[in-house]
Amino acid sequence: MKGLLKNNFYAARSNGAIFAVVMLLLGLFVIAMDNDIQTLLDGYMLLSMTGFSIQAITSLRKESAGKWNKYKLTVPVKRSDIVKSYFISQLVWLFVGILFAGAAVSLSILLHGYPFDRNTDILMLFIVGISISLFMGAVFFPLFYLGGEERNEAFLVISLLCGIGIVAVLATAVNMLFGPHMTTLQVIAGGAIILISALLAFLLSYPLTVGIFQKKEF
Amino acid sequence: MEHILELQQVSKAFPTSGFTLDRVSFSLPYGAIMGFVGENGAGKTTTIGCILGTIAKDSGSIKVFGKEMLDTDTDLREKIGVVYDGDNFPPYLTAQQLSQVMAGLYTQWDHALFQQYLSDFRLPANQKIKSYSRGMTMKLAISVALSHHPQLLILDEATGGLDPIMRDEILDVFLTFVQEEDHAILLSSHITSDLEKIADYITFIHNGKLILTASRNELVYHYAVLRCRESQFLALEPDDILAYRKRDFQIDVLVADGKKAQKKYKDIVIDHVSLDEIMLLLVKGERI
Repeated sequence: MKGLLKNNFYAARSNGAIFAVVMLLLGLFVIAMDNDIQTLLDGYMLLSMTGFSIQAITSLRKESAGKWNKYKLTVPVKRSDIVKSYFISQLVWLFVGILFAGAAVSLSILLHGYPFDRNTDILMLFIVGISISLFMGAVFFPLFYLGGEERNEAFLVISLLCGIGIVAVLATAVNMLFGPHMTTLQVIAGGAIILISALLAFLLSYPLTVGIFQKKEF
Repeated sequence: MEHILELQQVSKAFPTSGFTLDRVSFSLPYGAIMGFVGENGAGKTTTIGCILGTIAKDSGSIKVFGKEMLDTDTDLREKIGVVYDGDNFPPYLTAQQLSQVMAGLYTQWDHALFQQYLSDFRLPANQKIKSYSRGMTMKLAISVALSHHPQLLILDEATGGLDPIMRDEILDVFLTFVQEEDHAILLSSHITSDLEKIADYITFIHNGKLILTASRNELVYHYAVLRCRESQFLALEPDDILAYRKRDFQIDVLVADGKKAQKKYKDIVIDHVSLDEIMLLLVKGERI
């Protein structure tokens, strides 16, 4: 298992490093913009969380060249561990994205003061970013094993759109449930509903992906 | 005799392509090298896939170290070294990084031994695998397969892409490997001259069916080819003919016992037969 995680890290490292540099520069720009354009900071936070999560997914394409996917089945790991390593890698990259988003928003607050209308806005931005990433992973991994490596890019787009779409639907449902003037507690409860749904989808996607992968032949 | 690998009536059908692996059975004893021979698409890789569990067999039994190997039997896979034809490893890794990955997969990974193989095979440790030549990737795959102290090596066209000198070195490595009596090698190859040098047993497969499995000594010392004219061919007893092939002015007939045939058919020219010729006669020839 440790070997699989190391390999996943090496696969995503070069793209991840480039993305990190871009996000660093973008972060500096966003912070330098003062609090005039709040949507810039919103966008940066969402982009860093989903963007880093995508690194774990794009690395799967790199692995598909050659016979590595077949070879992996001959080493002393279970098929479920191979799938688990991808899910863990995505969580690790999501955590990197959270760190970037957290650093940017912290610096922005430190330098320019609190940029949002409500105290819960930052929390909601994190919840939305994390949930999009989790839903994206939950949709992508089963599709990847079902449809094959050559459709990786199409599945990535589909899963990203699904992630955004599901979070949008859930947010709409929460708004309808609590009405237009939500209390702080209701906002937190709504966020919790979205985050728990995303976590559940991510967790349930794991046995589903394992089930699909168990039947896959190389 | 104890066997490290036993296949009994293994079948696998691929409805899309129409190919079927049809009741394949053979056994590999401890301390032996088995050459697995067949033309492209004969079923060698499918058989190896069934053994290693990358392909699910439809029926039959495969025992590795006396046990059916399931996905959960990681302890059995610790004892198997595998080399596939072509790129076995991710192209973005260096050999050094690959060693770190493998150390996290095999409990018995021997980094020092791996470094020794890299040095022996003159492989650069810090160069990305994608920049390796085909021969270098094969040497790297063999190094990895040997560096976790396996007992069974399964090699699918592992000597393809190597120059004759390097092939000879690799064959020596394989021979050293089977000096240990609890080791064995299953080696699929098109290059029958390699198998003539090192294999103890040869198994021929054609169109998904096993057509012959015998010891190399039996094939080399007992099997023979009769060079017959048509009239001589017609006088042969059908039971003596394993396969025959018509050529311009003669018919080549494969027989299992050359000495017996020599006594029986005194006026026919009888030659020793190479593995290449046996394969050609079995695959391209006709049966009675």
